[in-house]
Amino acid sequence: MALSKDELKAAILEKAMTAPKPQLYVKDFYACDPDAKPRDVKNAANDLVKEGKMDFWSSGSTTMYAAKGRAKDEEHR
Amino acid sequence: MPKHDTPLLDELEKGPWPSFVTDLKRQAEKKPECFDILGQLELSFKDKITHWKHGGIVGVFGYGGGIVGRYSDVPERFPGVAHFHTVRLNQPSSKFYSSAKLRDICNLWEKYGSGMTNMHGSTGDLVLLGTTTPNLEPLFYELTHDLNQDLGGSGSNLRTPECCLGRARCEWGCYDTQDLCHTLTMHYQDEIHRPAFPYKFKFKFSGCPNDCVAAIARSDFAVIGTWRDDIRIDQAAVKGYITGEFAPNAGAHSGKDWGKFDIKKEVLDLCPTECMWMEGDTLKIDNSECTRCMHCINVMPRALRPGKQQGATICVGAKAPILDGAQFATMTIPFIEVKKNEDGEFAEVVEVIEKIWDWWMEVGKNRERVGETIMRVGLPTFLKVMEVTPAPQHVKEPRSNPYVFWQADEVEGGWDRDVKEFRKRNAQ
Ligand code: HEM
Ligand code: HEM
Ligand code: SF4
Ligand code: SF4
Repeated sequence: MALSKDELKAAILEKAMTAPKPQLYVKDFYACDPDAKPRDVKNAANDLVKEGKMDFWSSGSTTMYAAKGRAKDEEHR
Repeated sequence: MPKHDTPLLDELEKGPWPSFVTDLKRQAEKKPECFDILGQLELSFKDKITHWKHGGIVGVFGYGGGIVGRYSDVPERFPGVAHFHTVRLNQPSSKFYSSAKLRDICNLWEKYGSGMTNMHGSTGDLVLLGTTTPNLEPLFYELTHDLNQDLGGSGSNLRTPECCLGRARCEWGCYDTQDLCHTLTMHYQDEIHRPAFPYKFKFKFSGCPNDCVAAIARSDFAVIGTWRDDIRIDQAAVKGYITGEFAPNAGAHSGKDWGKFDIKKEVLDLCPTECMWMEGDTLKIDNSECTRCMHCINVMPRALRPGKQQGATICVGAKAPILDGAQFATMTIPFIEVKKNEDGEFAEVVEVIEKIWDWWMEVGKNRERVGETIMRVGLPTFLKVMEVTPAPQHVKEPRSNPYVFWQADEVEGGWDRDVKEFRKRNAQ
């Protein structure tokens, strides 16, 4: 059974806050709910960014996710 | 900001060509940060390494793409380019503008950025080069509210779709590239503005196999116009070319005297599938062998035209040479009618796109373009995912692998054969 959207978001945020690396690929969140479709996981992660709980970190060619404050911006180094 | 000595860059002002160095120097009179671009580039020429750092959290609220963070790694020396973010604007389909619109964009960029642009970037977007983080939100506000213009894609987003000018100006358009490009851009706003995939994904649309946007070389999803029936021939016009009444290639190569037009040398012998010949003064084409390369049509546009049953071929998986070398897109769907249904959507094309995405998001690795995923699993597996029956055109070369793999449903009894029954006949 797939998690509810709120449960999925909680699991993603938990992973983003505790993973050893601050920046994670969207695929790293698939494991949060193996039954969820990749697009649902992506949408849940993007929701967390909208809510200000996570940030997008982009190299320009790839975008990663980080819990708010975990990824350091060049400007705040 | 002071001027820097740039002897190496100054070399690029010599010669008859326009020079970005001259442009930058001129722009620096208005925007002194441009002196620092020149200074930093000169240093890079000396050090033989880039001094740009890229990546970061920059963007505008609600969007996860369209702005690429750029920072100098020598900001003490070049404070004007300490932050120098790039902004991508979604260009209109086929890049038609009024001059008033271009002026508005340039004025906005003088106000919030360096004034330097890249028209257009290789991604297709209008690229605005160089601004600071505090300027991003006000720029975005005016862009969307006053100019009715949006950001394009970057990062792991669907990238800004791009199309040739197609039926707007070109008689060879086999489908309406602008309509498909615009409709899909609107349909996939979420995928363009927010990361959606393990890596980038690009759509490009060409109206015919001349492929003016180089879709086959540059896009994960290339829709290239084609036709299914016979090339339309006007035999009288063929004679017109032979007698010299009409200039071949619509006169495109008339700067030099190439001698009299020779249909055998310039058309028949150059047909890649050797499917054209003359019977007396009648041109014949074996259309079942024609590979739709456009050569003969390009040379004799008055005499030859694409057929009437028009649509597109979909090729999947081109990429630049980051891993494993550059790769062209692979022909996947030989022919699809590109038509809009009552609700204004190109439903058949959307279905193909989403089949690819659903599979690639699951199976693709981080930072693996769909073309690399296909190469890794093999084309037969991909065709199965796409529910496409392999055609001869899917085969690149004769097989070198002696093994034949069967699927359970191709074998009598599947994989659940009764071993005891088998052993009765094949005792060990
Ligand atoms: C100078 C010594 C050897 C030569 C020149 C040689 C040459 C070959 C050649 C030409 C093949 C056919 C490859 C193919 O199917 O394309 C072959 C297959 C094979 N050889 Fe050798 N071989 C040598 C020594 C050995 C030894 C010492 C062993 C075992 C201890 C061995 C075991 C095998 C086996 C099991 C195959 C079958 C491989 C398969 O199933 O494809 N060979 N060998
Ligand atoms: C419990 C032990 C073993 C098992 C379960 C086993 C299993 C297998 C299997 C399933 C194949 C493939 C058969 C086919 O594709 O037609 C194979 C091939 C082969 N085995 Fe074994 N094997 C064992 C021990 C050994 C030993 C001890 C040797 C050599 C000293 C050996 C040498 C080979 C060779 C040379 C082949 C290739 C035969 C060919 O040319 O097609 N195997 N084995
Ligand atoms: S790709 Fe074909 S249809 Fe499009 S502009 Fe070029 S020649 Fe015309
Ligand atoms: S389009 Fe190309 S392959 Fe087809 S007949 Fe003309 S030259 Fe030959």
